[in-house]
Formats: sequence, C-alpha cells, structure tokens
Amino acid sequence: MDSDRSNSAAMIRMWRIYRTAKEMCMDRGYQMLEEDINISLSEFVDRFGKEGELEPDRSRMGFSAKPTEAMLIKYTDPPTPKVPNPQPQIGEIWIDFSGDENVGLKQLRDFMQHLVSTSYYSGILVTPKPITGMALRLLRGSTQFEDGPRGGVETFEEQHLLVNITKHELVPKHVLLSKEEKAQLLERYRLKETQLPRIQVTDPVAKYLGLRRGQVVKIIRRSETAGRYASYRWAI
Amino acid sequence: MGPKSILKSPAVPSDAVDARKPPVNEQHLQVALQHANIIQDQKNVEQEILNATLELLEFPPDSKADPARPSPSDAHKFKTLVMPFQPNDYDALIEERNCADLCGYALCPRPRKKVPSASKLHFVDSRDRGVQIVPKKVLEVWCSDDCARRALYVKVQLNEEPAWMRRTGGGHEIEVLVENAETLEFALPLRLKSKKEVQQGELKDGDGEDIAAAWALADEALAELSQERGDKDSNIRTELIKAKIEERTNFKTPSAPSAETTASSAHMAIEGHIPRTDAKKTKDVDDDDDENDWDD
Ligand SMILES: [Zn+2]
Repeated sequence: MDSDRSNSAAMIRMWRIYRTAKEMCMDRGYQMLEEDINISLSEFVDRFGKEGELEPDRSRMGFSAKPTEAMLIKYTDPPTPKVPNPQPQIGEIWIDFSGDENVGLKQLRDFMQHLVSTSYYSGILVTPKPITGMALRLLRGSTQFEDGPRGGVETFEEQHLLVNITKHELVPKHVLLSKEEKAQLLERYRLKETQLPRIQVTDPVAKYLGLRRGQVVKIIRRSETAGRYASYRWAI
Repeated sequence: MGPKSILKSPAVPSDAVDARKPPVNEQHLQVALQHANIIQDQKNVEQEILNATLELLEFPPDSKADPARPSPSDAHKFKTLVMPFQPNDYDALIEERNCADLCGYALCPRPRKKVPSASKLHFVDSRDRGVQIVPKKVLEVWCSDDCARRALYVKVQLNEEPAWMRRTGGGHEIEVLVENAETLEFALPLRLKSKKEVQQGELKDGDGEDIAAAWALADEALAELSQERGDKDSNIRTELIKAKIEERTNFKTPSAPSAETTASSAHMAIEGHIPRTDAKKTKDVDDDDDENDWDD
C-alpha cells in the first residue's frame, strides 16, 4: 500500500514541487532548516499522503517562513533625516498549495483575505494550472488592493516549480542588492538606474527571487578567460 | 494699442507666422497627453470591469433567487454592472463563476452542473441537433440549458467595442431574459421576489401592487391560452387533429390560359391593377371577338 502511494507519479511530482518551494524561500533569504529542504519522499508521503489516494493532500502542505537577519537588513532602506528608523519592507511569508484545479478571482481573494487576517506580510499561492485572466488582473493591481497583504501576493504554477531552475549550470548566480548597495553602485559608475541593463520581474529567475520593480541584481558568471565577472540588472 | 491698419504691414517678422501655431514642443505635449488619457481611460475601465466581476462572482445574494424571474433589484444591478463589458469580459465572468462552482449565469445562485464521470468527452442527445460529442468542460458551465440560453441572451447584446472607445459613454441598456419569454419580457415589469420586498420599501407600495396585478393577469391569460390550444386537455387535442384523411374531390378541370384575355385587359391596368367594372365590360366584348376569330 505505502509503496504504491510513494511510487505514484503524482506524489513524486508534488514532492519535488514542495522541495523547490522551500529552496526558493531559502534562496530569497528566509529562515529554513536544512532537514526541511531535504525531506525524503517517504517522509513527504507520511506527512501529506491521503489514505487510499495517489495525490497528496495539498491543503496540509502550506508552510510559513520568517526572514533571516540578513534579509531584514537587505530590505531596510538606509535611514534618512525624515525616516530615522526605517522598517524592513519584508516579513513572514505564507506559502499555500491550492487544492482547486482552477484558480480564479474567488480563490485568490480568499487567499488574500486569509493572509490579512493572519497578518502575514506576503504570500505565495502555488496552483495546479495557470490562474484566470481576471485573477491575473487582480494580482497586478494587488498593491492597491485594500484587501491584500502589504507585501503583495505571488502565484506559481506547479509545473514551474518541478525543477529548480537556479540549479541549472547555465543559470548564473543572481544576488539581490540592498538599497544602499544599489546607491553605491550607481555612484561608483556615475550611472542613473535607467542606464543599467534590465531584467523583467516576470523573468523566471527574477520571479524565483521575488524581485520587485526598481531593485538591482548582481549577476555573477563564471568565465574560462576571466574567471568570474559580475554584471548588474535593474528590475522593471 | 491703437486701431489696426488695414494695410499689409511691409515686413512680417518671421516669428509672427509661427506664433499662430503652438510651438512644436507643446504639440508633442498635447499628443502625449492625449495618449496618456486614453491609457488612463483604458485602465479605469479595466478596473471597473474587475470590480464588477468581483461583485457578480457570488451573485445573487439570495441563494433561493430564481434565474427565470430575478428580483428587480438584482436584475437592475446585474444590468448596470455588465454594461461596460465586452463579450470576452463576459466570458471571463462566466469562467470566474465556474471557478467558484457556480452556474455561469450571474442571476442564478445555483451550483453548476457536475458530470460525475471523469472522461473528457461526452455524448449528448439533444432534440434539435441529434447526438453530439461535447467536452465535459462545456457541459459543466451551467446549471441547466435554460441558464445557458439566458446567459447567451445577455452576451449577444454586449458591445464589441471596448468601453473606453465607445462614444456614447458606458454602453446601452441590457435586457435580461425572463420566463414565458416573447410576450412578457418587454411588456411586463419584472416579477417581484417576495412581498417582503414591497414592505421593505424598495419599491413604492402602489408600484408593487401594480406589478403583482399585472403578473396575475398575465398568468390568467396564459392559462386561458393554453386551454384554447389544448396544451393540457388531451380531449381537445384529439379533435383538432384528425386521423382520417379526406381527399379533395371537387377540382375544376384545368383550362389553357388565354393569351388574348390577359393581353386585352392589360392596357387598362393602372400600375398592375385592372379596375373591375371596366374589366368586366371589356371582357364581354373580347369574348365575342374571340368566338368570331375562332370561327374565321
Ligand atoms: Zn443556472
């Protein structure tokens, strides 16, 4: 029985998606236990399997993560005379796995309301299929949506988390710069941010890191001739 | 300044010509502004449609509302909210309601139909189109065929043009399909949800009574009509349709048309019509002539 369940393709698939979601949180700078990320398939089945079913119980898979000290610093603006004690623009995140095959406005609104009522800073909803066009429209305007959480909401399709793209050897390392680091960079090269090459926030790696418009990432590549070199991109 | 000279000024300074048009920069600014306004209008309409969809997502508020006879307030709200919609926005609304497991028609509070089997395609036997293969998804959009019809009735009225490009502003009034369609839908006011609504003062009391009376009369008339047609009483129906076939026997033997008669009266025709009295007289004369001709 048990081996039947763990062998099911659906179970293996969700196990991989779950692990990628946890890795993603760690790569963004949230606190994450090593053993949590390396959860084995049999343990996954034990925790989330349903008696007599091939699919795991997605409603039990949700988890939260708190930012590390380093992440809090990175997301805090440098103090100014006007704002001497700036608050970090990041907080505890909630990741949910939708059990509904089709996710539309209703599910997204319910998710947002859940985040607000449980006072999470932001949230990620992982959906079995692409969300509807209207839900996408709500998502785009969610920063002004009074019912949403402060840090906004992101959605991921399950299939996009099947593989952790940042682990691919051809994907260079992307590192987010803090506001202070960004200011130093622009000053050193006497640039305006608009003069930097760009990266779209919808780019898979940008989406993985949860980049916000206006942030700058440092991209570190390995090169046979130059060793390592860095370039910078401005998220739009 | 003194009065203007009617004479041409000998030397027109070159600046003066350009001064009539706004400077190039200002023209650019105006073009940019115009485009910005269009984009803003577009955004506003999109937001309006999103809000309307959110509101119609779990509509109507009363879970026992009848989609065939919506309450006036529900119908009014639906019609107003759906006005800026294009047909594809309306499809999106149906999709969203389906995601919420509701019938796609926004005036229907019932859950959508669920086909128990897991297969993606189904055979459907409909009276007018015979057996068809229909995807499961399509089957599960509505609670019933009636709602499909009602929803489509609204869709075909929607303006294809995006709301921000419509010259009339928001859009025109939308009609909803109510029960006993053709005769009632335009002539009769929407049926009241309940007497409570009248008491709550949503409508003036007099109005409520009038509406109720109008519907009572209509129901009576419909009952009479169906009696006459024999919809209910099977005895009457058997009298109307006879099983025995009777042949018509009193046929006239066909005669060849006479070219002369038609030709001779043709000159009397006024715009194709031949005045009767004159036609008779001429006909008599012609008949005589005909006989003579034959004899010759
Ligand atoms: Zn319905």
